[in-house]
Amino acid sequence: MFKTKTGSSRRGRRAFSGVVALSLLSGVLVSCSSSSGGAGGTLTFLTNSESWTHADPNRNYTGQHIAWFGSYMHRTLTAYARAEGAAGSEVVPDLATDTGRSSNGNKTWEFTLRDGVKFEDGSDITCEDVKYGVSRTFATDVITDGPTYAISMLDIPSAADGSSVYKGPYKADGNDTAAYDKAVTCSEDNKTITFNLKRAVGDFNYTVTYLSFSPVPKAKDTGDQYDLAPVSSGPYKIEKYKAKDEMVLVRNESWSKDADPIRNAYPDKIVVRFGVAEEVRDQLILNDSEPAAFSLDSVLPTNLATVFNEDGTPKEEWKSRALNVYDPYVTYTAVNVGKVPCVQIRKALYYARDFAALLQLGGGPAFGGDPADGVIKPLMGLDYKPVTGLEDFKPEGNPEKAQALMAEAKTACPDVYAKATGPGLTFDVGDTDTNKKSATIWIDSVKKNTGINLKFNFIEPGQYYAVVLDPTKQGDLSRAGWAPDWANASTVIPELFLEGAGFPLSNVGKDPAYAEFKQRAEANLSEPDRAKQGAEWAALNQYVMDQMWVIPGVFSKTQEIWGSKLEGIFFWEPQGAPSFGDIKVKS
Amino acid sequence: MSSELLESTSSGVIGRSPRQLAWRRFRSNKTGLITLSIATFLILSTVFATLLRDIFGLDPRARYNDLMNSQGFPTGGFNGISWAHPLGLEPGIGHDLLSRLLFGARTSFFVALIVTLSSVSIGLIMGILMGYFRGAVDSTLGRFIDFLLAFPAFFMIVALSLPMVQRLEATGLVEGNSARMTYLVLILIFFGWPYLARIMRSQVLSIRERDYVMAARALGASQRRIIFKEILPNLWTVVIVYLSLSLPGYLTAEAVFSFLGLGVQPPDATWGLLISDSIKYVINNPTYFFIPSTALILVVLTFNLLGDAVRDALDPRSEVT
Repeated sequence: MFKTKTGSSRRGRRAFSGVVALSLLSGVLVSCSSSSGGAGGTLTFLTNSESWTHADPNRNYTGQHIAWFGSYMHRTLTAYARAEGAAGSEVVPDLATDTGRSSNGNKTWEFTLRDGVKFEDGSDITCEDVKYGVSRTFATDVITDGPTYAISMLDIPSAADGSSVYKGPYKADGNDTAAYDKAVTCSEDNKTITFNLKRAVGDFNYTVTYLSFSPVPKAKDTGDQYDLAPVSSGPYKIEKYKAKDEMVLVRNESWSKDADPIRNAYPDKIVVRFGVAEEVRDQLILNDSEPAAFSLDSVLPTNLATVFNEDGTPKEEWKSRALNVYDPYVTYTAVNVGKVPCVQIRKALYYARDFAALLQLGGGPAFGGDPADGVIKPLMGLDYKPVTGLEDFKPEGNPEKAQALMAEAKTACPDVYAKATGPGLTFDVGDTDTNKKSATIWIDSVKKNTGINLKFNFIEPGQYYAVVLDPTKQGDLSRAGWAPDWANASTVIPELFLEGAGFPLSNVGKDPAYAEFKQRAEANLSEPDRAKQGAEWAALNQYVMDQMWVIPGVFSKTQEIWGSKLEGIFFWEPQGAPSFGDIKVKS
Repeated sequence: MSSELLESTSSGVIGRSPRQLAWRRFRSNKTGLITLSIATFLILSTVFATLLRDIFGLDPRARYNDLMNSQGFPTGGFNGISWAHPLGLEPGIGHDLLSRLLFGARTSFFVALIVTLSSVSIGLIMGILMGYFRGAVDSTLGRFIDFLLAFPAFFMIVALSLPMVQRLEATGLVEGNSARMTYLVLILIFFGWPYLARIMRSQVLSIRERDYVMAARALGASQRRIIFKEILPNLWTVVIVYLSLSLPGYLTAEAVFSFLGLGVQPPDATWGLLISDSIKYVINNPTYFFIPSTALILVVLTFNLLGDAVRDALDPRSEVT
């Protein structure tokens, strides 16, 4: 999943029973004890972005945006509990009456819809609407950027080229609709939906928390344009949505609290102001000029000192208005293995960069996070094991180790060595001020410690992933960030490294080590024993790091600030975002 | 004999060339002297920046991360000003601010100097051509100048930046920051010369009708002689004044375009980049905010005052009080 806050990493979401993460903010959270009252008012969100990346539920893959739309507009079969800490990672029924019933060895999943669930036009939400919503994911030419678990999990045969034989609801010719109708079926009363999967998925009820499993009324679907005016199934509906301007949500009169046990819907109106200059956005909240405003973006590093102490805790007067927490993301630099087929060079880069300076630029350990040793966060208890073989890592760079690796590379892969030390390696990053400074640190420290030349390619942040996910445009190295989609590294290791997966920035297909990886990863996807599966993910994480397919960055942290009239905010762990649905405007 | 006579008659009055006179007038102007010494110092220190780097360890790429706290703010307050770092550090990344300013000035001065010299030369030549030959030359060039002056130059520079830099890079001659600097230099010259050309044209138009030019022409002097010996010397005053005033103008322009992200990019430094970076620290580290801005103000002020002093010295009609 995308990470948008820094403009440079892709965000993932994670549902995971970690408890360590939030220990830091025990004193920070606003209590939400008063469940009664607090309704009404206008809640304002401020963001520097010009619009939502996507408002179409099928195309939303940014953790924060999923949390936002999930809280206000789009309902799914199941959802995460609205609770602090580990309790938030529990899956609860949403549109469905329970969290799903599996049979056939976890290959068949059934969900029954509640009574009284309605779209904004008052029509009932039926099984057909959910089925239609899921089918849109298959139209990969129209519905881009969303998660593709429906395609990889549903029992639909693949065509010769590896794509699904079902091409979504918009194509008629040569489209095997019957295969889809067989994989997803509706009961007689149009209330119960059954998913038939091609492999056993024990946590499919986590998969359907994704908005790409939310209902879409076929009559209102406008394909690509649905992104601008999605139909609401939640407590609010769109009154106005204009990029570079604002989005206004008003109450959806068809929504009833009785048929929705998890959404609170406190404010009467929700406004998102787009394109607010970063400094203006921060100052509006820092000076409390907009007491009912919440910043959707991270605090600028330069303003952190206003809100937080040096150790990362909020200052006394900010205790109820700020959060500094570990988010679910791991940031890393993906090495385009196809273009840098030399493990020594990749490792030399890892040891050569001045990690300490890069972290300091990002706010230091108190705000930036801790050095990562792989792509799986320690919070993923079952799937994480400390990676070995990186003992020579020094935060300020290890020139001896890097030079030794370069000497090896000279004989092992002379071509890559000549390219790296001659014309240099290209490095894709988002075009932000911080990235320009971090580029300086990378260039200087890597040149000094290895002799490798780095050339940076600064890409407009909104276009960043579109560019680097295009193999013809991707450079040798690309900055990225990823988080598990739910509490299983099956949403990390395969998604990042298998060919044709969701986020294959490392392009490892041609690496000699890929064959073994592919075989082990694919086998592990259907491993029924969760503990054994976790151990294997940890082993594969180690395998990835032995090959240095990515240069790990940090297990990252995020900071949120808001105005004095808001309350009820806590960090919603599984979404890696604030608990939007619990925000109240004090009267 | 005649020479003896001359000497005896001039014993009470010392003969001085216009140049000497101008220098005397300049010397009596305190502001002029002070600004001249500052400007000389600045220019020399940027010219010998690499030497200063080696002597005083003013390396613009050296990072002093240990002098900053974990959030990247220089420790010790006031942007970490100390003997070793007289202007403190660049927060976040930890570069020495004085050496960033020094090497940034190098880029800024380099751009400003080239643009000023080139646009003045082109303007001078074009102005003389138009004023002296008049007729078709004048009207053709004149209309072209009107066309250039009517252009919204600022927006053109911003809008053309990306495609033009890419074109320059595609030639393979320059890349990265050199390409961006080349673009900035070329386009500033392109839009810069018409102003002086217009002034020169009107000057030449009036000079060419003066009696001594007529006399030269009547004596059969060649066009080249008339232009170079009779007309050009009378233009220098205006040219020098224009030069001294447009140099600070282009210094500011370079800073503005870097500020907008069109000029040099990190890791190289320019003043515009430093200023745009420092703005973010206005609340939490105001010292850093004030240093590069103050530096730019002081330098531009220096060159403007110097320009005024030069004009006062060269123009006998404006007496220095």
